[in-house]
Amino acid sequence: MDWFYIQGILMLAGINLIAVLGLSLLTGFTGLFSFGHAGFMAIGAYLGALMTVSPTTSPAGLGLPFAVGVIAGGAGAGIVSYFIGRITLNLKGDYFCIATLGFGEAIRLILNNVQLFGGSRGWPGVPYKSTLPAIIIVDILAVIFLANLVRSRHGRNMIAVREEELAAQIAGVNVFKYKMIALVVSAVYAGVAGVFFGHYMTFIQPKMFSMTKSTELTIIVIFGGLGSISGSVLGALLLTALPEILRAFEIWRLVFYGAAVILIMISRPKGLMGGMELTPAGIRKARNERKARVQALKESKNSQNGEVGVG
Amino acid sequence: MADILEIRRLTKRFGGLAAVNDVSFSIPEGGIFGLIGPNGAGKTTIFNLVTGVYSLTEGDVRFRGKSVIGLPPFKIADMGITRTFQNIRLFKNLTVFENVLTACHLGASYSILDSVLRLPKFRKEEKALVEKAERLLSIMGLTERRDLVANNLPYGMQRRLEIVRALALDPKLLLLDEPAAGMNPDETEQLMRLISRIRDEFRLSVLVIEHHMDLIMGICERIVVLNFGIKLAEGCPADISKDPKVIEAYLGATEEA
Amino acid sequence: MIQFMQQLINGLSIGSVYALMAVGYSLVYSIMSFSNFAHGGVIMLGAYFGFFALTLLKLPFILAFILACAGTTLLAILVERIAYKPLRERNAPFLYFIISAMGASILLENIVIATIGPTFRTYPAVIPRTPIQLGALAVGRLDLIMFFISAVCLTGLILFIEKTKMGKAIQAAAYNIKACALMGVNTDKIILIVFGLGGFLAGVAGVFFGMKYTVYPQIGNITTKSFIAAVFGGLGSLPGAVLGSVLLGTIETLVAGYLSSQFRDLIAFVILIGVLIFRPSGIMGKNTVDKA
Repeated sequence: MDWFYIQGILMLAGINLIAVLGLSLLTGFTGLFSFGHAGFMAIGAYLGALMTVSPTTSPAGLGLPFAVGVIAGGAGAGIVSYFIGRITLNLKGDYFCIATLGFGEAIRLILNNVQLFGGSRGWPGVPYKSTLPAIIIVDILAVIFLANLVRSRHGRNMIAVREEELAAQIAGVNVFKYKMIALVVSAVYAGVAGVFFGHYMTFIQPKMFSMTKSTELTIIVIFGGLGSISGSVLGALLLTALPEILRAFEIWRLVFYGAAVILIMISRPKGLMGGMELTPAGIRKARNERKARVQALKESKNSQNGEVGVG
Repeated sequence: MADILEIRRLTKRFGGLAAVNDVSFSIPEGGIFGLIGPNGAGKTTIFNLVTGVYSLTEGDVRFRGKSVIGLPPFKIADMGITRTFQNIRLFKNLTVFENVLTACHLGASYSILDSVLRLPKFRKEEKALVEKAERLLSIMGLTERRDLVANNLPYGMQRRLEIVRALALDPKLLLLDEPAAGMNPDETEQLMRLISRIRDEFRLSVLVIEHHMDLIMGICERIVVLNFGIKLAEGCPADISKDPKVIEAYLGATEEA
Repeated sequence: MIQFMQQLINGLSIGSVYALMAVGYSLVYSIMSFSNFAHGGVIMLGAYFGFFALTLLKLPFILAFILACAGTTLLAILVERIAYKPLRERNAPFLYFIISAMGASILLENIVIATIGPTFRTYPAVIPRTPIQLGALAVGRLDLIMFFISAVCLTGLILFIEKTKMGKAIQAAAYNIKACALMGVNTDKIILIVFGLGGFLAGVAGVFFGMKYTVYPQIGNITTKSFIAAVFGGLGSLPGAVLGSVLLGTIETLVAGYLSSQFRDLIAFVILIGVLIFRPSGIMGKNTVDKA
């Protein structure tokens, strides 16, 4: 394996990570499942391409700098998600899932029919701008932003929504607002990931952003562990690299992938990290929780003889 | 003393069935009120109506003179009404401390940008929230269990934590839905003292639904009795325990739901 | 007018096959409250079972048809046992079921790609392509058969649910499965039967889709339509699933016929969005209230 090949895997993993981090906020911290985030990636990829593709090629773009593309892609996805959220965030559980699935597919089908962007044949000539350092910088910024958001009253409110929606409301949390914030932030992340993806592939096509891609992102979040940023990072690295390393098995790798997903669900549903963070503070917290549990167990054993059963 | 909560001709129908029918009563500031009645009498429905979980069919609910009709639950909570649930609804996977800290959020106003950039406003307010949560835990004797995940708490402690979480919102009116359910006499006794203490220390009013008559008779200044969604009686504990209608509803009920 | 009638008949026939899928999906939803995304994989394999029974085993059509349905019945049960049962036993939240279903869907699709290959295969011409003349209308034989058999299957299912003891137990489980378990009903058996029924109907739908279009590993994606149809009709309601499917099939065919076939797939999503905005509980769905 040469450096060029490894670099390619790292870049793909880094791009996936951006989208996965966003989805981690929505799914892992706020408890909403989406099967449509590939749609937001598509919006990002196409808006990004529209900004940067040279005006002389066909389909033509505006020939603006890459940074403009990144901002436009993220903002565009965020704005669209806001309107989708207005409609879907009041829906419960499965309805929300199916609604996001529907919107994701609708975005893809619309792009299939917009000849201005090449329709289903795709859009070639996207400049190669996604360098590894650029991706790493965005990843780091994305992690810092997310970690700081999650460890604030805003993040705690989102977690409260995930844990017990009604109790959150009664505790004064504007559930709809926090679901919306999580959705929009996750869509912006997906949009930015889409821009980088397009400028890595140098060619975009609606079918790259199908439901399978959405599912892949959600699976990475689950694999890493709901409510764990470090889990999402590990998940994105492992699950992007693994299929590439398994290339030798080519046609069988997705079979393993599917089997692995079922296996994780039925054997270790908390994912790799299970809500724990791989940071000094995170490890300390996990240790304290364990200590408290052990102590509580001891106490209950000691007092069992003297007390009448409770509950 | 002024009334903190006024319920006027409150009615809630599910389909054709009236779960609460034309009920009126008022709670004075600082009072401890009891709400009793057989199962299905509409007690919890009244809590759901007052906290905005259900929308009412007719009538009015006024809190400190202002109507709360049509407001979403989080706004009503913000105004100063909060509650606990019959079937405990904690943030189960969070620690005791996190449960309380989350509910302290109304005391801070820093924005998302403040938190993402860790600006001074964030640091200052966050520190105050942590202090407040810790103070509450220590007042309520939960400091030792600070790091225990809520789900692993003993049952009685879970009920207590739910009350602490409610207090974190600095409510003016606290609604307790069967706080003594599943508790042994010893724990019920403790809970009674706790409720009186909370009322005095936090200067709030309490409305409590309970089946344990000892608790109700022991701490409530006034009691409202419901049966089949209708107000059957209202009065001080001594009168209520002698009221023939109440005795019939509880003991001689030939048509109990 | 004649063209309209023609389109209407096509729409009804496609809609009835959507109904076969949507009913299977809705049945599982009504009992277990999660979207069984693996349903598409079962339908896809139904199409392949039928195809190989006809081409490799050279069975007569009826036998091939029965074999395909038997295969999908077993397959659906197998998926339940492997991917969902362990979760059920642990009382896992519904999202784990959904993800496990997604895993099963990926697994089934890619096993087929890895072993049979990604190519499109055409069913042998079992049913003549020449249409039947009904007055001025020319109706495809396959369309007629599809409509007829689907209607028979759906009627059979509804009779089973309404009239038999087992069907009553299924209804009770859909109302409250936990209470059923407490009352001593064998819920494991109910779930097995529900998956079996869904699998059987998936087999019928798979063979029809294979015959109407072609067979390929991604044909299961067509179940997205049945999810939409089920939401359209009201999630968890069987009559709703049938009505939603027939309406969706008809609207799609009319749109393809009168506007443009490009909008054919898009219209399903437009309907989905419309329903979600104006009537999230669907045409016949029940509104649930979270009890405090």
